Amino acid sequence: MEIILVALKDSLALTVKLLCIILPLSISYEFLKHRQSAIEKKHFAFLGISGKGFVPLVTGIIIGLTYGAGVIIYSIRTSNTSKKEAFLILLFLSICHAIIEDTLIFVVIGANGLVLIGFRFALAIILTYLIYRSRLFNAQFDCFPGKDGRIEQ
Amino acid sequence: MNPLYPTFKRGFLNGISITYKMVKVIVPCYIAIELIKHFGLIEAISTFFKPCMGIFGLPGESALGLIAGYFINLYAAIAVIAPLQLSSKDMTTIALMLGIAHSLPIETGVTRQTGVNAWLMLTARVVFSLFAGIVINLVWKLFL
Repeated sequence: MEIILVALKDSLALTVKLLCIILPLSISYEFLKHRQSAIEKKHFAFLGISGKGFVPLVTGIIIGLTYGAGVIIYSIRTSNTSKKEAFLILLFLSICHAIIEDTLIFVVIGANGLVLIGFRFALAIILTYLIYRSRLFNAQFDCFPGKDGRIEQ
Repeated sequence: MNPLYPTFKRGFLNGISITYKMVKVIVPCYIAIELIKHFGLIEAISTFFKPCMGIFGLPGESALGLIAGYFINLYAAIAVIAPLQLSSKDMTTIALMLGIAHSLPIETGVTRQTGVNAWLMLTARVVFSLFAGIVINLVWKLFL
């Protein structure tokens, strides 16, 4: 019985620590959504991701797929992003998303945050670049003549 | 009233609701692991997973954290890993692997709605996650 009480106390202490991270983050997310258009200009052209794809990319990197899902799905669907580009964006995001929250909550329990962020960015850029350049990937999306590779609305 | 107040309030309430969801996962997982430790099952689990976790340079019992992270979510994984008292290297390796692939059932649903092949993406994430675990272990041994 005692062990359960100790575990209960410890797990609540852990939750309070995580709350201290999540609360400021969730508040900043809302402010970030406000100034979305300011970041639309830049782009990641060398990875095959254009200006249109930049908003879902940045949203995903910072906020993550679960909470940023609305923005990501909306921007990809409404901006007429090609299927090829949508794939590259999601590929990049699959490796490198929710970079602030994921990193901080693991730092709380003892992980090295700098190594984590550096590693995920490097891996995401290298793999996205390789797949963007690969013949197999390009053949996959070019083998449907007549279709311009857009996602149906 | 400050015009930014509604934005602030929305963020604050979101944070509280995330934390509420989190508590429901963290507390039971944490208690379960403490009980498993208490009854001495951790050694058995550790030995069982040792061969496959060795690829990532992780102790066997950390497999529990990976499983919780892949199938439930990161908070469950944290609740499982925290009581195990792993080294900073082990924590970082698990964090990297889980950062790439976690809450797979939920996030596969999100991916599907963007119109991208969700199964391909799921496979890619798991493969990248395992690959990253192997690479970071090697890099850490060589340079850090």
